[in-house]
Amino acid sequence: MSSRGGKQKKGNVTSEQEEEEQPLQAVLVADSFNRRFFPISKDQPRALLPLGNVAMIDYTLEFLTSTGVQETFVFCCWMSNKIKDHLLKSKWCRPTSPNVVHIITSDLYRSLGDVLRDVDAKNLVRNDFILVYGDVVSNIDVSQALQEHRHRRKVDKNISVMTMVFKESSPGHKSRCEEDDVIVAMDSKSKRVLHYQKTQGLKKLQFPMNIFQHGSDEFEIRHDLLDCHISICSPQVAELFTDNFDYQTRNDFVRGILVNEEILGNQIHLYVTQDGYGARVSNLQMYDSVSSDMVRRWVYPLTPEANFTDQQGQGCTHSRHNVYRGAEVSLGHGSQMEENVLIGRDTSIGANCHISNSVIGNNCTIGDNVVLDRAHMWNNVHISSNVEIHQSVVCDGAVVKEAVRLNKQCYFSMLPVSQVVIGPNLSLPEGTVVSMHHPEEEEEDDDDEFLSDDQEVGHSKDKTRQKAFNPAEVGPEGKGYIWKASMNDTEDEELAQCLWGLVLNPDPESDSESEASEESQDRSRSVSPEIDDVNAFQLEVLGTLQRGLEENIVCDNLVLEINSLKYAYNITLKEVMQILTRVVLEYPFQQQGTQLTTLQYTGSLLPLLKTWSPVFKNYIKRAQDHLDCLSAVEELFLEQDTHQTAMVKVLMKMYQLEILEEEAILKWFSTGATNDKSRQLRKNQGLQKFIQWLKEAEDESSEEGE
Amino acid sequence: MELQAVLMAAGGGSRMMDLTYNTRKPLLPVGNKPLIWYPINLLERVGFEEVIVITTKEVQKMISTDPKMKLDVKMKLDIVCIQEDAHMGTADALRHIQQKIKTDILVVSCDLITDAALHEVVDLFRAHNATLSMLMSKAHEFTETVPGQKGKKKNGDFVGVDGTGKRLLFMANEADLDKGLVIRKSNMRKHPRMHIKTGLVDAHLYCLKKSVVDFLADNRSVSSIRGELVPYIVRKQFSKSMTSPNVNDEADQKLKKKDGNANVEIKILSRDEALLQLTRERSCWNDHRGDMSEAYHGGRLRCYVHIMDEGMCYRVNMLAAYIEANRLAPKLFDEPAVHPSAAISVRCLIGADSIIGASCQISDKASIKRSMIGASTTVREKVKVTNSIIMHGVTIEEGCNIQGSVICSNTVIGRGADIKYCLVGSAQRIEPEGEHTTAYYCLTLPSHTQVPLTSTLSGNSRVAKIQ
Repeated sequence: MSSRGGKQKKGNVTSEQEEEEQPLQAVLVADSFNRRFFPISKDQPRALLPLGNVAMIDYTLEFLTSTGVQETFVFCCWMSNKIKDHLLKSKWCRPTSPNVVHIITSDLYRSLGDVLRDVDAKNLVRNDFILVYGDVVSNIDVSQALQEHRHRRKVDKNISVMTMVFKESSPGHKSRCEEDDVIVAMDSKSKRVLHYQKTQGLKKLQFPMNIFQHGSDEFEIRHDLLDCHISICSPQVAELFTDNFDYQTRNDFVRGILVNEEILGNQIHLYVTQDGYGARVSNLQMYDSVSSDMVRRWVYPLTPEANFTDQQGQGCTHSRHNVYRGAEVSLGHGSQMEENVLIGRDTSIGANCHISNSVIGNNCTIGDNVVLDRAHMWNNVHISSNVEIHQSVVCDGAVVKEAVRLNKQCYFSMLPVSQVVIGPNLSLPEGTVVSMHHPEEEEEDDDDEFLSDDQEVGHSKDKTRQKAFNPAEVGPEGKGYIWKASMNDTEDEELAQCLWGLVLNPDPESDSESEASEESQDRSRSVSPEIDDVNAFQLEVLGTLQRGLEENIVCDNLVLEINSLKYAYNITLKEVMQILTRVVLEYPFQQQGTQLTTLQYTGSLLPLLKTWSPVFKNYIKRAQDHLDCLSAVEELFLEQDTHQTAMVKVLMKMYQLEILEEEAILKWFSTGATNDKSRQLRKNQGLQKFIQWLKEAEDESSEEGE
Repeated sequence: MELQAVLMAAGGGSRMMDLTYNTRKPLLPVGNKPLIWYPINLLERVGFEEVIVITTKEVQKMISTDPKMKLDVKMKLDIVCIQEDAHMGTADALRHIQQKIKTDILVVSCDLITDAALHEVVDLFRAHNATLSMLMSKAHEFTETVPGQKGKKKNGDFVGVDGTGKRLLFMANEADLDKGLVIRKSNMRKHPRMHIKTGLVDAHLYCLKKSVVDFLADNRSVSSIRGELVPYIVRKQFSKSMTSPNVNDEADQKLKKKDGNANVEIKILSRDEALLQLTRERSCWNDHRGDMSEAYHGGRLRCYVHIMDEGMCYRVNMLAAYIEANRLAPKLFDEPAVHPSAAISVRCLIGADSIIGASCQISDKASIKRSMIGASTTVREKVKVTNSIIMHGVTIEEGCNIQGSVICSNTVIGRGADIKYCLVGSAQRIEPEGEHTTAYYCLTLPSHTQVPLTSTLSGNSRVAKIQ
């Protein structure tokens, strides 16, 4: 820390004039740290995927250069060599480039946080810098935002650490990405961000009151903002990432800053552009919309015919209806290019084709009578006659045989060498993914949770080769594996959903339902009597456990939370344990209703017991604790008399998990009965057997001990 | 007739009991006119010819008999009396006069003093075929020191309007938001840019559809317009559950349970809804941009608000507002500051910003600055009155010095008394030569009791505030 203090001091000493003279720097993160483009990104890093026949990273670099960035640090992790090669060949590394590009590679980056910590460690940035991802396509002039940012920093003594750039776009706009759907509460006058939340999956948006108590009397809550993933950062940002090693993403950072605002005194501001274009290609849905916006010239001056990458042979002509043709394109008789079509060089198209809203790469061949709509074809694709493709991505080197029909949202990923072949005579349903990689390869890989997009796979190739292609899936001459079909467990389903992003408009019915339920809630809230502490505590414990399950919280932390609740509600340890037992045992009823059969009940309860056994063990230590716990169990099963048969299983499980000791169970069984009902309970056959078994086990163990 | 005006003048002024102990709120003198004159004048200025005044018997009697309270208006006043002790809320009062309501209504509260352009509110109501449109204004900082007021800050309202600043989307009091401000995402989707404003005062001026009055008649549980009805309508703007045909039976029953207003929505529809619907379908006009859904997103209830940026808008419901209104009200009308019937000595000093009521007597060497002197008040020699409000029939003996105070009716201030920042209740008798330089708060007691000033507030806090 001392070294940092010194550094900052030095920074302050430098005069303003010097500050202005320093070149504008940018940090470009050429890795996505997620697997949205899997399996395409297995062979090609996301930053190099072509969009409008130009690699995405080129758009980002062009954007940075045009806003006046003079020094860019490109951080690569996955397939860094490919990115490096690409950049070294590009115009950015020519000596005439106004933007000096430094490429920094490391396999150790696991998140944006790692990159920025490295920025801090290497002491790369000296002044405000622009932070972007390698898949941002934008023509926003951030100089205005930059000016505002600098002004704020000058006036407020470095309080503002970040200015996020947003584009105004109403909900429902197709370039809005559901994943990045954010709601921002801001101060109207100072443009300060007060609250920042991703809204995906939320029905209600909650804003804490303290954000409105900053003296200003006008706020805005905005849901019409599209996050461009362009941020202007102060040098402190890198330091803050170092100080808070748990920050992984920018989202973590923003939320952390906002929550700790009063402690650290850092603020985040935003800049909203109305007419610029800026979007991050964060999933396939965004890929589709950004690509079509590109062809429709929304990103002017970054248009296909501009050839801003300055590569030979990349030029194309622009004619009306936004039809772009590269060099040496041949078009068969009777073929129509309706509108918004981009065709790369050396591509030949057969007769009577019908092409609209599509991008076709270089060196492609397309047969006769082909219909393409919203298709994205990369380089060296071969399409036979009578093929119909709708809203699909066909990657490098794919071969689509005769009479294949690709419906919405298919996409193929291929190895450049051994290509995927589809067909003939096949119709692929919506959302199909075909790849030369076998899905199982990926599953084997799944162990690592922090896996990036693009982890090294490579090992099980021989094994994959041996697996046969399924002709029913990819056609008689097909080569490749269907991806989605094999994805049965929920995690993978989620992944598949994410490939194309989520559907934008949730059905309105759910909306009105929530309305009705809210109404009833309102009413019940008004009539519900005040709950006493014990009940409140019970509810809180239930909530804690629920959350623990949903968010996979470690049991130690659950114990901590329950302990703090214990103090908050002034509950004795004995009560804590009884309530805990009760909550856990009732949990299946809570979640699935009371009409469960005994079998279902035990089925869902036993895994829960296993998950939470550390929590129990924490509270059940002394002999008396065991008895208390048992009596709580007994009490519950006396209430739920239809499920008494489940009691044995519960006790058994608790015994196996070493939550309860056998002496305690035996003692409870022999002495605990105080009234008829509990005596009745003890006559349960299963229980009798269990006790018998316990006794025998004890005898045995004691014999062994002797 | 497009709109019927309804004036709510039955409130007792419970937030400034010291003033309203003897004089009902509608009759409090502001710029030497009863408070109720201001809203009536407002209505008259924009061309209303008739107004339904809901008030109490006492006020009615005073208006018709007491010359001091005479309302100098040409408008036809249709006075409806309600019982004072019935604890009727404003919505109850509307329900009471339901028979008289034939069209949409404009409800005004009697304590509103404003120079707002009323047509702005009504135009919003017309243009959007709104269910409710209302007037709000930026809260004013009260410039004058308030005698004997606790410095307690009221909880503010949170008002949410859309990007145009006209459509009212959200309304809640800070006190009710202990769990934070909660907005449904579907609402944000419809109105993606919501301005949340605080520090606004509600002028209590509402345009309401006639169907709302009918709705009130069916829902006896709603008793206050501001407290219950308006928040209810604002909330209901986004509720679809009742209009959508596929509401399941369960929900239906729930709604019926709720004092049987299952068909509220239908009643709130206007008569010409079918025609309007057709117009909207045929028109390319839309109230929003961004998504492709129909105008107003198919919602049938709409609330609008006009927020005044400048101009004055006061609700005289607190002492501070009363004092401020007195300072500013004279600017609203161009009558001579000194009433012709007042007898004023030549050798006294009267500031241009003061008002002298009818039949006043002001003696030699008196000095009156930035003050209001009510009717039939006697001001003796060498009296200095600064920044004060003197109501009717007050007698101020020689050599008094009154500063920043409110003196209620029929009080006698003894010779040489020095009163600063005090509130003196009606019919009090202040001892001569008393020096009340620190801030004292004077309790209102039954008439003709002689009491010294009673301190109810710790001197320190007041002193601190004055300084």
